[in-house]
Amino acid sequence: MTSPNITSPKPAAPAAKFASRFDRFQVVLLGLSALAVCFALIYGGYLLTVMQMAMIYAIFCVGLNFFMGYTGQASFGQNSFACIGGYGSAILCVQYGWEPALALIGAMVVAGFFALIIGYPTLRLRGHYLAMATFSLGLITYDISIQWTSVTQGYMGYAGIPSLGIGNWTVESERGKLVVLAVLLAFAFWLSLRMRDSRFGRGLRAISGSENGAAALGVRVPRFKLIAFVVAALYASAAGSLYAYTFNFISPEAFGPAMSILTFTMLFVGGVGTIVGPIIGAVVTSLLQEVVRGSGHYQDIAYAVGLLATLIYAPKGLSALGGLFRRKKEEA
Amino acid sequence: MPSIVELTQSLVTGVGIGLIYGLIAIGFSVIYNASGIVNFAQGVFVMLGGMFAHSILTRYGLPIWLSAIIATILVAAVGVLVQIFVINPRWRRNAPLFAIILATLAVQLLIEQIVILTLGDQPRTYPEFTSGGPLKLGPIAIPYQLFWVLGVGAILVFALTQFFNRTPMGRALRACAQNREAAALLGIPVERMLIVAFALSAGLGAIAGILITPTQYTAYLIGTPFGINGFIAAIIGGFGSPVAGLVGGIFLGITQSEAIVFFGAGFRNIISLSLLLIVLMFFPKGLFGGFAKKA
Repeated sequence: MTSPNITSPKPAAPAAKFASRFDRFQVVLLGLSALAVCFALIYGGYLLTVMQMAMIYAIFCVGLNFFMGYTGQASFGQNSFACIGGYGSAILCVQYGWEPALALIGAMVVAGFFALIIGYPTLRLRGHYLAMATFSLGLITYDISIQWTSVTQGYMGYAGIPSLGIGNWTVESERGKLVVLAVLLAFAFWLSLRMRDSRFGRGLRAISGSENGAAALGVRVPRFKLIAFVVAALYASAAGSLYAYTFNFISPEAFGPAMSILTFTMLFVGGVGTIVGPIIGAVVTSLLQEVVRGSGHYQDIAYAVGLLATLIYAPKGLSALGGLFRRKKEEA
Repeated sequence: MPSIVELTQSLVTGVGIGLIYGLIAIGFSVIYNASGIVNFAQGVFVMLGGMFAHSILTRYGLPIWLSAIIATILVAAVGVLVQIFVINPRWRRNAPLFAIILATLAVQLLIEQIVILTLGDQPRTYPEFTSGGPLKLGPIAIPYQLFWVLGVGAILVFALTQFFNRTPMGRALRACAQNREAAALLGIPVERMLIVAFALSAGLGAIAGILITPTQYTAYLIGTPFGINGFIAAIIGGFGSPVAGLVGGIFLGITQSEAIVFFGAGFRNIISLSLLLIVLMFFPKGLFGGFAKKA
C-alpha cells in the first residue's frame, strides 16, 4: 500500500507508428496549445511574455517528464540545473563574450556533468528520501546563487544578458523570441519522442513499472536512472539558458525552489508520464496563473484549491481525461 | 577563531532551537510511521500555533497558559481537517506518492494564504512565559524561555513514550506503523488512527510554534524553514522514536548555530542541507538507527 512504484505505471503503449501514440484528445490539446501561441503572436502585449514563459517551462517539463514520468522517480531539485544553465550562459556571454548559442551548449555540458556527479550517489535513494535529497539540492543551489555574490551578483540579479542568436543574426523582438522558443520546444519534444521509444526509453518505462522486473529483463537500473537524470538536467539547463536569453535578466528568485514546485504542478496538471502532458501542463498552468491573478488576494487560494481538486479528480492530469471519455464510450 | 564564550553561547542557542526542530521532527515521524506519508505541510502547524496563541492572547486577553492550550487544540483540529479533506481522498484512491507530496505542499500554500487574509501578514510576537532573565552564568546568557522549551520537550517526550508503549491507542498506532494490513485485520480502524496521527502531529507542531514565538517572531511564512529543518532533524534522528527525533533536532540546532559562528548567517542553510545529504547517503536510517521503514 505504501506504493513502492512511485507513479502509477502506465500501460506500455503498443508503440509502432507515430499517430497511434497519441489519442485524439491529446492531439486536440496540443492543437489548442499551438493555437494559444498563435493567439499570442497576433495580439502581442503581455500575453507574449506569458507564452514565452510557458514555452520555457514546457522545455523544462519535457525533460523532467523523463525522470519523473517515464522512470517514476522524484526530483524536486531540477531547478538547480536550470540555475546552472541560466547563470552559466549569463556568465559565459557577458564576461567571456561567448556566442549565446555556444554558451547555451557550454552551460548544458556543465549542468550534465554536475548531474552525473550528483546523481551517482543520490539516485540510490528512493521515495521520500530521494524527493527530499533532491529538494535540498535545489535549496543549496538557491542559497549559493544568493551568497556567492562575486559570481552571481546575489539578490541584485544578473543584467545585460544578450538575446539568443547566432553570429550576426539575433532575435530581439518579443514575437521573434516566442517563435524561436516554440521551434526549440518542438525540437525538444521531437527529441524526447525519439528517446522515449528507443531501447533506452522503453527501459525507463520498465523501471517505472517494476525495478526488479526491469532488472530481471536486463535493464541496468542504476545506469538508466542516472542517464534519465542527466537528460532531465540537460533539458533544465537549456530552459534556464533560454530564460536568461529571453528576459535578458536573471536573479536567484527565478530559479528558486518555487520553480521546482511550479514545474511539478505543471507536470501533474498536464499528466505525468504522458507524451504531451508537459507541454499541456506548462501552457495551461501559465495561462491559469494569469487568469486567477485578477482575483487579487484569492489568487493563491484559487490556485491551491484547483491543484488539490486536480490531484483528486484527475490524478493523471488533463491529457488523460480523454481516456475517461473513451472508456465511457466503450461501455455504452 | 571564535572565542570559547562565543562558541558556548551559540551552543546554548543551538540547543534551544534544536529542541524546537526536534518537536517538529517527532511530528513528522508520527505521521510517517502511521501512514508512510511525509507531510510537507508540517511547518504550517508551527506557524499556526504561534499565530493562534498570539491572536487569542491579544484579542481575548486570556492568560498565556490558557491561550497556549486552546491554540494547540485548534491546530490539532486543523490537522484533522487536513487529514479528512486532503489526505484521505488520495489515500483511499491509492494515489501515487508524488501526488500526496504535492497535495501537502498545496495545503501549505492554501493555509498560508488564508492566514494572510484573516490574521494579516505582519510578524508578531508575545513576551516570554516567565519575565526577567536571561540567567547569567558568567559571560553566558541563558534566556528563561530555554528552560520552558527544555521542560516542555522533556515532558512531551516522556508522555509520548508512555503513550506509544502503554495506551491501547498508542499501541494501535505502532501496529499501523509496522504493518497496516495486519493491523486492519486485527480490527484496528486504520483510517481513524491516521486522523489521530495528524491531530497529534499538528498539536506537536503547534506547541513548538508557541514555545519559539517569544524568542523569535511568527508570521505567515515561517512555516517553510521550520518544516524543512524539522524534516532534516527527523532524517538525522531516524523516524524511529520520539527521543531519536529530539536528539536529531538538537544535533541539527547545534550544527546550525556553530555554522553561523564559523561561516556567517548566510551559510546556515547550506551547511544544514549538506548535513542532510551526508546523512541520507551514508546513514539512510538516521544516525541512531531506529526502525525506519524502507521507503
